Amino acid sequence: MDMSKYREMFLSETREHLDNMNRLIVSLERNPKDLEGINSLFREAHSIKGMAASMGYRRMNSLAHHLEDFLDQFRAAGELPVKVFDRLLAGADLLEQLLEDITAERPERDVDPFIHEAIPPLEDAPLSTEAPEGVAEEPTGEIVNLVVTLADQAIAPSARGILLLKECLLLGHLVESRPALPELSRGGKLKTLGISLQTSCSFAQIESALAGMPDVERIELQETSSEGPVAQRRKDDLERSVRIRTELLDKFINLTGELITNRTMLQNASRLKDWAGMNDGINQLIRLVADLHYQVLQVRMMPLKSITGRLPRLMRDLCQGLGKEIRLDISGEDIELDRSILEKLSDPLVHLLRNAADHGIERSGIVTLRAWREKDLVLIELTDDGRGLNPQLIRDKAIERGFLSRTLAEQLAEADLLMLICQPGFSTRDEVSETSGRGVGMDIVKSSVESIGGILELSLPKTGGTRALLKLPLSVAIIRVLLVQCDGQIMALPITRVQRTLELPREELKRSGRQMVIAFEDEVLPLLSLRKLLKLEPQPERTSVAIVVTEIHGRKVGLMVDQLVGQQEVFVKALDFPLNKIAGIAGATVLGTGQVVFVLDPLGFMDAGHNTEKGEEG
Amino acid sequence: MGFRVLVVDDAMFMRNMLRDVFSRSEDFEVVGEAADGKEAVEKFFELTPDLVTMDIVMPLKSGIEALQEIVAKDPKACVIMCSALGQESLIVEAVQSGARDFIVKPFQESRVLEIARRVVTRA
Repeated sequence: MDMSKYREMFLSETREHLDNMNRLIVSLERNPKDLEGINSLFREAHSIKGMAASMGYRRMNSLAHHLEDFLDQFRAAGELPVKVFDRLLAGADLLEQLLEDITAERPERDVDPFIHEAIPPLEDAPLSTEAPEGVAEEPTGEIVNLVVTLADQAIAPSARGILLLKECLLLGHLVESRPALPELSRGGKLKTLGISLQTSCSFAQIESALAGMPDVERIELQETSSEGPVAQRRKDDLERSVRIRTELLDKFINLTGELITNRTMLQNASRLKDWAGMNDGINQLIRLVADLHYQVLQVRMMPLKSITGRLPRLMRDLCQGLGKEIRLDISGEDIELDRSILEKLSDPLVHLLRNAADHGIERSGIVTLRAWREKDLVLIELTDDGRGLNPQLIRDKAIERGFLSRTLAEQLAEADLLMLICQPGFSTRDEVSETSGRGVGMDIVKSSVESIGGILELSLPKTGGTRALLKLPLSVAIIRVLLVQCDGQIMALPITRVQRTLELPREELKRSGRQMVIAFEDEVLPLLSLRKLLKLEPQPERTSVAIVVTEIHGRKVGLMVDQLVGQQEVFVKALDFPLNKIAGIAGATVLGTGQVVFVLDPLGFMDAGHNTEKGEEG
Repeated sequence: MGFRVLVVDDAMFMRNMLRDVFSRSEDFEVVGEAADGKEAVEKFFELTPDLVTMDIVMPLKSGIEALQEIVAKDPKACVIMCSALGQESLIVEAVQSGARDFIVKPFQESRVLEIARRVVTRA
């Protein structure tokens, strides 16, 4: 794999970590009992080690690993003895020099003399520094990432883990293990052991060497690129910190400056009772806050590519495993989404892809992933040109499994029928295949999409195959809502769920059987009463009715409310247990007045079966 | 015929049990026994067995100390530690000191032989 494009990033990040290390060593020298500082220092060394390993800088890796093990001994004690600081600083300096070597594109200088120097009597972790028997001094080969799973009843699993690592040493150079050796040495439970091994042996060879060990249940190749351990940790880092383009930071500085000016202006106007001036100030503040909001969101935005980037490789591996030829076309990857949305989207996309490859396409075909923006939404569409879901089969299965009665099943529209496969435990394949089909996939896809405020729709295009459409909000935390009033209470609906609002005279409401409907844009729109959904008292008759047109399961529905109050941008907070278990409530927000308002999710109400009787007068 | 084993344990009935296990298999032969760590080291260099089963907790010298002495002089020595359930930290220490594998009391005959075979053939 071509590492050169990551060089710049590697250099700047290592630089950062090194700076942190130096800073920490100096501060620990003044305060050697700072456990948090010791842990941080350990983590810095660990980070450098991982990065160097995946870039192939063996000596930096080896030195960082040595420092990491060195530091690990002191974590338990919570104190750094005086005599170690010289060594730590010398180690950091050597890392610095290695960094210079790498920057200047020179070969890395030798670090063995330093590592083997007489150090204060402390145990050297034998696995890290001594060249094990049978392995050449200079480790060669690719980095292989495996996960070894131990039997549940394994005895002394940590000891077993250590033996596994020792076995690995005979096969190559141990880059990293998760958990690491020092942690294994402390004993305790162990179920899985992740190993990153730089070796010229094939996975099959490694597997046969390790599989003979007692209590080893299974050995799997970890499905990541050769950046394995780094990519995993990178994902964790992703959650704790962000990298910001400096130009964005400059914008923040400027904005802050303007806000300060604005504040002074408002203070003055208030003091002088200058209402015109105050109005100007407030208008300016509105603009500045909008700007700030936008910039903050930019920081959180990442391109879709960050999760779709690995899909071509995944598809390739799937094809190999299934013996099929499938082309994956991706477009619109540059579209940006809030990172928390992207995180939740990753697994569902992978699953949809696997479904398409495994079930959708028989031997060869094309899978298309398309992403684009429409107003406040990002749409992601995944289609395959295979044989498509079979509605009749689904119908039959649903009846057989007791999901629906025959009459209901027959009345169900195609879109709703297809969504049945998202019910837990519903799988129309009798045999469970290796890649998918255990019946746990689609329901998780649906719930993941809904948990980020999105909607999943399945359909069968006329050209054949299956189409999955994900409609996602652009951002999670701050959203625009429609405020409505119902039985004296104000509630909020995300604007992304609102297609239109209407206020109609009562006469326009018609009945169709038991269902209240209205004529709307050449369609007949069924009506639901929000009061009814919320189990509130029916509304006394009014001359006009307020309706919010929304979409539930792909169909337009009119939600009757008492009154439309307005629109606002609010910061939505997720609710904690046990309130988060209430179906139909997506979160809560606090209005400028201090009033707490619940944010509703109409889909949630429907699914919870609150909808016992639709749209009766109420 | 086959691989030569030194059985080390301070309890006679344990030594007997292991002796029986090995004698029932065709590929192993017990050539000696020791009842403490000191004797274990002596007998090891006297008999040069292919395999040692070493109890951990013993008088005079512990199994781990004996293991360390043996491995220091003969890094290729195949020593399997025997321990009672619940002594995981000792097993970890033993493994780090050079034990090739471990078995836990009460023994399962098949497991003992499986591990023993694996250790001697991979030496």
